[in-house]
Amino acid sequence: MKPALSIVFFTVSSGAGLGLLAWITLIDLFASEALSPQVQWRAATLGLVLLAAGLASSVLHLAKPQNAWRALSRFRTSWLSREAILATVLFPVAATYIVLTAARSGGAWRSFLAVATCLLAWAVLFATAMIYASLKPIRQWRTPWTPANYLLLGHWSGALLLATIVVAYDAAPRMLLALALLVGVAALAAKLTYWASIGEKAAGARTAPTLERAIGVPAGVHGPGPMTVAQARLLDAGHSHGTFLTNEFGFELARQHARFLRGAALALGFGVPLAWLLLGAPYWQVGLGAAACGIIGLLAERWLFFAEARHTVRLYHGDRRT
Amino acid sequence: MKLGLVIDLDTCVGCHACATACKEWNASSRVSGALSDYEPFGAEPSGVWFNRVRHYEVGEYPANKTINFPMSCLHCEDADCVTVCPTGASYKRDDGIVLVDQDKCMGCNLCAWACPYGARELDEATGTMKKCTLCVDRVYDKMLPPEDRQPACVLACPTHARLFGDFDDPQSEVSRVTAERGGFALMPELGLKPVNRYLPPRQPKPVMGDDEARRLLDRGLASLASPVIRR
Repeated sequence: MKPALSIVFFTVSSGAGLGLLAWITLIDLFASEALSPQVQWRAATLGLVLLAAGLASSVLHLAKPQNAWRALSRFRTSWLSREAILATVLFPVAATYIVLTAARSGGAWRSFLAVATCLLAWAVLFATAMIYASLKPIRQWRTPWTPANYLLLGHWSGALLLATIVVAYDAAPRMLLALALLVGVAALAAKLTYWASIGEKAAGARTAPTLERAIGVPAGVHGPGPMTVAQARLLDAGHSHGTFLTNEFGFELARQHARFLRGAALALGFGVPLAWLLLGAPYWQVGLGAAACGIIGLLAERWLFFAEARHTVRLYHGDRRT
Repeated sequence: MKLGLVIDLDTCVGCHACATACKEWNASSRVSGALSDYEPFGAEPSGVWFNRVRHYEVGEYPANKTINFPMSCLHCEDADCVTVCPTGASYKRDDGIVLVDQDKCMGCNLCAWACPYGARELDEATGTMKKCTLCVDRVYDKMLPPEDRQPACVLACPTHARLFGDFDDPQSEVSRVTAERGGFALMPELGLKPVNRYLPPRQPKPVMGDDEARRLLDRGLASLASPVIRR
């Protein structure tokens, strides 16, 4: 799949924002003394801003954005519609929660809004992931590891940003650093498992559709006589230059680039920030650098998520398998 | 009703007449608007097509064959392109035809991603998704003589490799020929229940099949070996 930068930025930015909102509200509900209200409302505002930036970026991907409002209409079947609706509901809920937190008022109402914000943040993250995980033609996406990755990576980047903010304003509670560390390791494990599950030796790759199956060789599409070698190859794609299909689905990622980017995603997305947390999160300036590394690493990870996905249309353009 | 096409891979000669007839008819269609071309007279012409013909070779010589393979929307019964559409622009009619409402589409590409067959193409000029309409503006047009109420691709095919009809009716030509010739669906394992059927090539008596090739190979080896080996 062509890695569209607008969507890569959208999912990373909104993922971090949603993770941040989930952490703030969870800590508020279960360990209300851990963070000062200043940190709480500032971090939550950053979360909402990141989500807004992501959604704005996603609109750039639309070829006809003036119809974007219609995306609120098909929530019964479409995960993209569900995501749009949930995000739209999240904004006023989270904004009210932030205002009440900053004003140090609200009482039980504020707790209710915290619960609602947290649940909505989880729902939006999950809906974003399901947009990809529900696509049958792309085996690299149609796996439970896709939602697992989106949820964990969102919470990992959110925890990282929160740790940086907390270190900048207050002394960071050990509990928070330990939580961030834990989620980081879990997200790393989920990403490595995802990569293993889409590899060429994984079970999914062995049962993936082939060019032969795509054009019906098992159903009898072959030459005269008994079939000895049932191999098919593309002679001519029927077009002289690129089409929408080759543009959108024909993206080819060189093996060495994939290796380099995976290394960069691991080192920047996990290595540097985890090291900072392990050292006890010294200096907020270093934390800012670690968080920036983390986000850049996740941008590389998300770019790969698209670049390594192989749509079945590629079979009809001559790929032997997906 | 379950309207769809049968495509006969035995008789298709890969002339692209169906694709160009489709382009001609639908370029002025009111159902989907124009099918935009980009740089049609430039160095790298490209554009939107509802129907594309690809060519494959299957098997090894001498048991090989060229397969000409036209592909357009298969009007799936469980069309994921419709369910993933967030705006409601994609819809499936009661007669089985899958269409895109050009006034509602926001051009997010998700339906094209959900289609395993590459049946949908984004029109960069209008910013909306385009796809085969099964010539819905021909097949119901009472102004046309009955024999012309068929998709443009079917009418254009010089070898009658394309048939149009209702797969829900077991007596229809498409149902009968599918049953007789072992018509198959493309990648049914993905679960979208595509309606269009492809007929595999008939198996003729091999002109030069395996036996003949083996005989020739043996004779060739013998002539090579004769000067060296004392028999």
